[in-house]
Amino acid sequence: MIKSAFAVYIQGIKTAIASRMAYRTDYFIGITVMLIWEMVVPMVVFLIYRSGVAFPNWNIYEVLLIQGIFMIAKGISYPCFFGIVWNTIVRVQEGTFDLLLIKPRSALFMALVTGFDAEDLGKLLGGGVLTGICLANLPPANLAQWLNMFIYFILGQGVMFSFAVIMAGTGIKWVGNFRLYEIFDSVTAFGIYPQSIFAKPIRIIISYIIPIAMIGAFPASILLGKPVPQLGWVSLGVAGFLTLSLFYWRRMLASYTSAGG
Amino acid sequence: MSESIITVRNLNKTYTTYERGSSFKDSVKSLFVRKPLKVEAVKNISFEIQKGEICGFLGPNGAGKSTTLKILTGILFPTHGEVNILGYVPWKQRREYVARIGAVFGQKSQLLWDIPPADAFELNRAIYNIPRDRFKKNLAAMVELLDVGEVMGKPTRVLSLGERMKCEFIIAMLHDPEIVFLDEPTIGLDVVAKEKIRGFVKEMNQKGTTFILTTHDLDDVESLARQIILINHGEIIFNDPIEKLSRFFGCKKKINLQTDRSQIDFQLPGLKSLDRRNDTHGNYELDLDILPLKAFLAQADEILCIKDMSIEEIPIESVITALYETKKPED
Repeated sequence: MIKSAFAVYIQGIKTAIASRMAYRTDYFIGITVMLIWEMVVPMVVFLIYRSGVAFPNWNIYEVLLIQGIFMIAKGISYPCFFGIVWNTIVRVQEGTFDLLLIKPRSALFMALVTGFDAEDLGKLLGGGVLTGICLANLPPANLAQWLNMFIYFILGQGVMFSFAVIMAGTGIKWVGNFRLYEIFDSVTAFGIYPQSIFAKPIRIIISYIIPIAMIGAFPASILLGKPVPQLGWVSLGVAGFLTLSLFYWRRMLASYTSAGG
Repeated sequence: MSESIITVRNLNKTYTTYERGSSFKDSVKSLFVRKPLKVEAVKNISFEIQKGEICGFLGPNGAGKSTTLKILTGILFPTHGEVNILGYVPWKQRREYVARIGAVFGQKSQLLWDIPPADAFELNRAIYNIPRDRFKKNLAAMVELLDVGEVMGKPTRVLSLGERMKCEFIIAMLHDPEIVFLDEPTIGLDVVAKEKIRGFVKEMNQKGTTFILTTHDLDDVESLARQIILINHGEIIFNDPIEKLSRFFGCKKKINLQTDRSQIDFQLPGLKSLDRRNDTHGNYELDLDILPLKAFLAQADEILCIKDMSIEEIPIESVITALYETKKPED
């Protein structure tokens, strides 16, 4: 079953890349524009630090490391599974979501397979470069830190997936609404800065309830040797968030009304 | 007696939509207040379809046929009612069920616009987990039958509508479905492409595939369907073999009559004048229950002196149009 699902997913990626390569110039321009756009926040941080202002106990490379890892997280999740959001919104709006439901796979999986977005690999490239620059200017982390960071990073991908599922589910009911991305960006903005700058209630929410901090802040903190919440508790938070998102998706799917004709 | 492959009992679908109005004022108002509108798209319909059938599922726009088909294909949940297809309840066992059916939507493509149909077939092979040798065998047979070998490697966007539709049929049938739902499969196609597709459907039907056909093209219906289900205002108004359709309003014939004498004052019981080309050449509808053909011929020849004539069945489109207009909603 898993082998078969993986084969479908790989075929979906091949198909998406082949489709995107039909317009290569647009693809490369798209990646470049995305790269510039994603660098806006790090540039703002850079300018703030240049003007002499700083987050307490965090130097510029430490802050940029959070944003670099956050970009890598987006660079992996956006092409690999975040496409379920635009794919669902567009298909529900056009009426072609029906075509996913006549396939012998889960609708969510079909949205995933047909929603691979090769253009979003630009985020991964940008995040990799930014993280590399930061790490080159910071004390090296040991193997245990890297392993721990990897576990938190994977959990962060679970949080990204949960967000994608909630947004896609909302797209079933809230037809044609691309403002969901802006809402998502606003909410996740809490995860691209050092957690110590937030009040305790907010830290609790973004660590355990809507665990945005898992996406970039905690993995980066681990590499920097800074304290993070215990793995057990944050894992529970991520599992809860994921379960909630899947439940929400099922509810939204059951209320799908299709387009006329 | 052959077995029922589709059984539908008291199927009902009600949904809520919102009235928005068309003016700018209405649009602004709808930002704050929207009037909900309850729509009963399907009203307690029941029917059965036998295995190996080609069933024409017809109705005017907004009649409820697409909603019914979407419930039958597992896309929509009904409000209430029972459906059993191949032993499955479509919306409850969707994944297992859809592995055994296929669907072609004339206005929704399963092909991928920028890449060749061959790549879309390969993606579907993976989705349906079709063994490689069976996939190759099925693909080769259908490519030959539909004569689309030359277009397999071309991007879909450069294909003609007919070529694309043929490829849609291949996608729908690669996994050997037992039932195929066709929603407007020949819409916009030229005569040659339509004939090719009809021939393909007939051939697949002979091999045992059951087809449910939704269309507004009555040539498709006459050429393919053996059973007709007519739906209007969410209710079934006809469900019988196609032969019974032309006799729905009684046994009638269309008569084209050329005579030596003028037909201007020609009247007989059971005879309705349809149109007249000139004084001595006209078309009539004859109700055989009122005036048998033999009696009509004798009287018409005596009064008008028949020079030439033809007798035809009432065209199916006339019957269907009349049926669409018979039952109006009860407000």
